[in-house]
Amino acid sequence: MASAENTLPDERLVADTLSGDDDAFAELTRRHKSRVFGVAARFARDASEIDDICQDVFVQAYFKLRQFRGDSPFEHWLLRITTFKCYDYLRKRQRSGPAISTDALLESGFEPAAPPPDEPHPALERLHSALVQLSPKERLVITLLELEDKTLQEISELTGWSVNNVKVRAFRARAALRKLMENPK
Amino acid sequence: MNDPQSDPQLDSLFAQARARRANTSAIEYGFETRVMARLRAEKQPGSIWAMVSWRMMPFFAACVLGLVVWRADVFAEVDDAAQTASTDNPAALDSWGDTQL
Repeated sequence: MASAENTLPDERLVADTLSGDDDAFAELTRRHKSRVFGVAARFARDASEIDDICQDVFVQAYFKLRQFRGDSPFEHWLLRITTFKCYDYLRKRQRSGPAISTDALLESGFEPAAPPPDEPHPALERLHSALVQLSPKERLVITLLELEDKTLQEISELTGWSVNNVKVRAFRARAALRKLMENPK
Repeated sequence: MNDPQSDPQLDSLFAQARARRANTSAIEYGFETRVMARLRAEKQPGSIWAMVSWRMMPFFAACVLGLVVWRADVFAEVDDAAQTASTDNPAALDSWGDTQL
């Protein structure tokens, strides 16, 4: 069953899921999870937070599957949900209080339980600390544009904002980021 | 000229960050199983009933409040009737009580 589903196109798996075959949705999840995890990991660092975002993406995709019209690839539709979920995550994080920067955390005597497997570059850590201080909209647009390498048009489709709006937000986000990099809090 | 769009240092950092994709393979392990388990839990009729009941809570609260007010009115009328009966005809109180209760 699972091996036969490996070769089926996404649209067919969507149709099978809608007719009640949950194995088809499991195959869709298996097929696209790496892409969704890759995007979510740009916004969250904690493994459980990344897992929560990704689960929310696939659960919403399952319950809203009838809204997928098939006029664009399934992955695009899924990435749109991912973008919204990541934005939700950023907003919740902002509401729950300002994030503590890595530098401030280390200065306060905090020692991580175990170093991350990929030891980050200090300059990249500074970039991350600055990104965390941006507003959710600024962080979303700069992450999609500069880290996910999306075009203005693609970001416009993912967020629902006009291209001009994306352009203005990206310009402001870059300026804010540069300021934060020059004068870290 | 302070153009935030041209910053070679920032561009270089972005390029480095783009090249470094987080390794999420450990979190991805068993992900389909977790998603399908969550979907099964969310599709259970019990959870739908719980959700519907929770959303109907204000309606139920209004019903209870209405019932309490209505009952208070009824008891007030009963008290008035009992008081009237006792002042007009004290002997009738016992028979009123027998017929009503």
